[in-house]
Amino acid sequence: MAADEDGVMWVEKYRPKTLNEVVDLKDIVESLKSFMRNPKTMPHLLLAGIPGTGKTTVALCIARELFGQNWKTFTLELNASDERGIDTVRDRVKDFSRYSRAAFGSVPFALIILDESDQMTGAAQTALRRIMETSSRTSRFILICNQSGKIIEPIQSRCAIFRFSKLDRKAMIHQLCCIAKKENVTLAPEAAERIVDYAEGDLRHAINALQTASAYKDGVVDEKTVSLVVGEASPIQVQLMIRKALKGDFIEARKMMYDLMGSFGFSGSEIVRQMQRELFKMSTLTPEQKADLSNIIGEYDYRLTQGANSDIQLSALLAQFAKVGKAQGESS
Amino acid sequence: MREELLWVEKYRPKKIADVIGNEEAKAAFVEWLKNKCHTKKAILLYGPPGVGKTTLVNSAGNEFGFRVIEMNASDTRSEKAINAVAGPATSFIALDTFSTESKGNILFMDEVDGIAGNEDRGGVSAIVRIVEESRIPVIMAANDPDLQKLRPLKKVAALVRFHQVRIPLIIAMLQKICQKEHIRTEFEALEHIAENSRGDVRSAINDLQSLAETSKTLTLQDTVVLSARNKDISMDETLRSYFSAESLLEAAMMLSRSSVDYDDLLMAVGDNLPLRYTDPADLAEAYDFVSQADMYRGRIGVENWHLLKYFFNSLSEAAAVSPESYKPFTFISPPIRVITLFWTKGKRAMLEAICSKIGKKCHVSRATAKQDVIPFLKLALANQKTASTVSWLELQPDEVDFLTRMNKL
Repeated sequence: MAADEDGVMWVEKYRPKTLNEVVDLKDIVESLKSFMRNPKTMPHLLLAGIPGTGKTTVALCIARELFGQNWKTFTLELNASDERGIDTVRDRVKDFSRYSRAAFGSVPFALIILDESDQMTGAAQTALRRIMETSSRTSRFILICNQSGKIIEPIQSRCAIFRFSKLDRKAMIHQLCCIAKKENVTLAPEAAERIVDYAEGDLRHAINALQTASAYKDGVVDEKTVSLVVGEASPIQVQLMIRKALKGDFIEARKMMYDLMGSFGFSGSEIVRQMQRELFKMSTLTPEQKADLSNIIGEYDYRLTQGANSDIQLSALLAQFAKVGKAQGESS
Repeated sequence: MREELLWVEKYRPKKIADVIGNEEAKAAFVEWLKNKCHTKKAILLYGPPGVGKTTLVNSAGNEFGFRVIEMNASDTRSEKAINAVAGPATSFIALDTFSTESKGNILFMDEVDGIAGNEDRGGVSAIVRIVEESRIPVIMAANDPDLQKLRPLKKVAALVRFHQVRIPLIIAMLQKICQKEHIRTEFEALEHIAENSRGDVRSAINDLQSLAETSKTLTLQDTVVLSARNKDISMDETLRSYFSAESLLEAAMMLSRSSVDYDDLLMAVGDNLPLRYTDPADLAEAYDFVSQADMYRGRIGVENWHLLKYFFNSLSEAAAVSPESYKPFTFISPPIRVITLFWTKGKRAMLEAICSKIGKKCHVSRATAKQDVIPFLKLALANQKTASTVSWLELQPDEVDFLTRMNKL
């Protein structure tokens, strides 16, 4: 077994297998456990919260607790952002609920986990709602999303909603230290702090950063290594690009854009989406400035869908940022 | 003397089976040829240039033993001229059949959409009459079968549509030629040539010959000039007069006169804009126009060419944002975009496949895998401590190799 576990990425290796192992989410875990005691009472669930706070983990734990060893047979894992349309979702759910109808012990249903369900359009969600209705005798849904507001009301009203809040620093540092200990890695306290700063409440990010950093020097993770690893990872690059553009350094910003496209393989619309996300994390901007810049991003997000060359549209977007940055520099 | 031979001629297929791509069209054409009691005596092969229409006809002639009597756009095709050439060919079938080993004649009229209204007066109706009266098969080829004036032809002829030849087939063809010509080459280079050809085998082979014939080696770097190849000197000239234009009208005139490819022009203007405008406000305004031009380019696609004037208008506006600030500068060319050249469709598909594997193992979407896991995985790969992780993710050697190369970009 140990040999098999060799290459498992730490995010998976240390993903809790049972609800009891899930720490830091006591309230949520307690209410879920009551469903587990009598599975018939379990409604559809909606797990909402920012990335890396344990939503998928909890969903997988539920599957294991319900079905034991054979959980994979009775669980359909779908990711809304991967499936091309509601038709694929419909077909797969239909097929799945057909062959898994044979109930498992005291559990009279099969489980369908639909991750990133807020990526679905309103129309697709309406169709999903129909699917949930027609298959409700044979299946339970666990919908996972970042923002429950993006899920249409009729679906929300059919689900028990659980909100996952940002993990606090202490809990994250604790997790990192536990993993480091089990992996025989010396994790310097300031290095752990640095990882947590970077991860912004996303435990998956934090663990990935820890694992990558531990590969640099044998068994030692110090702050310098962490900075190196984190500096190469994408969200930071996007922020740097925004900063450069806002400082009026268009040429450098454009260089970074090409770097993001080239070495990360991001498409134009992926970069725009990340810019939107990173923009709101930037503490140096006022809410008004963020709103203005966000409007510009929105405009170019649309233009990308109309245009032929994403790098032209992104360059134009960065040029707008440089203009705004300059105007702000003059007025302040 | 042999060296001077064009490779398109040297490697032109002699047999139907050797004509690459368009299997359906080929089958339909052969079926039509074999079928002695044609429901339609004529056939119109249509499709983009360089996909093998003419080659197919000639190789079919070879294989079935027909003599191909060819007329193309370079011949004048008034009614009189057509009758002079084709008339005898169509009616003296019997005599010809007995006098030679040939099993008969095929009349092949290439580029029938090239028949111009004035000089070739009556040309189309003459073709129709010949088709109707002829006792031998008549084959026609055209690029654009929707032209109004060809409509009468469509009524008398069976239509067979040709598509762009698929890129992998072109690559294989280029590889074969490279082997025969003893050219050492990077696969990516051939890939780029093939993609750049947009399914046009003839232009792909021509490009290969021009890039590799003398040096006998070919790298991806060599092929970067390709997208800019047709521009020769005129790109620099176009840019110069475009950026120095003193009015919107002048810029628009320059653009409409230039023979530079629209897409190359758009990229080149985008590349050079920050050199032209140093004031951020000017730059933003100019880029806004280029962005609009790009949107028109997107809407034009492959068919809405009537929108081209708006594309040019927007692009011209970008040159006229602040004429007083113009100072001559040295143009960047070829395009900066070299990096994004790496990201061909095939490579993107590969990245998606890797992300899909990660997604399955780590319970995340492909998008999340690309954003959150790949950057770390790449770094870890650089440290070469990942053999076990690689096998856990079930990554193939070529996928690992791909991620390593991504690292170096």
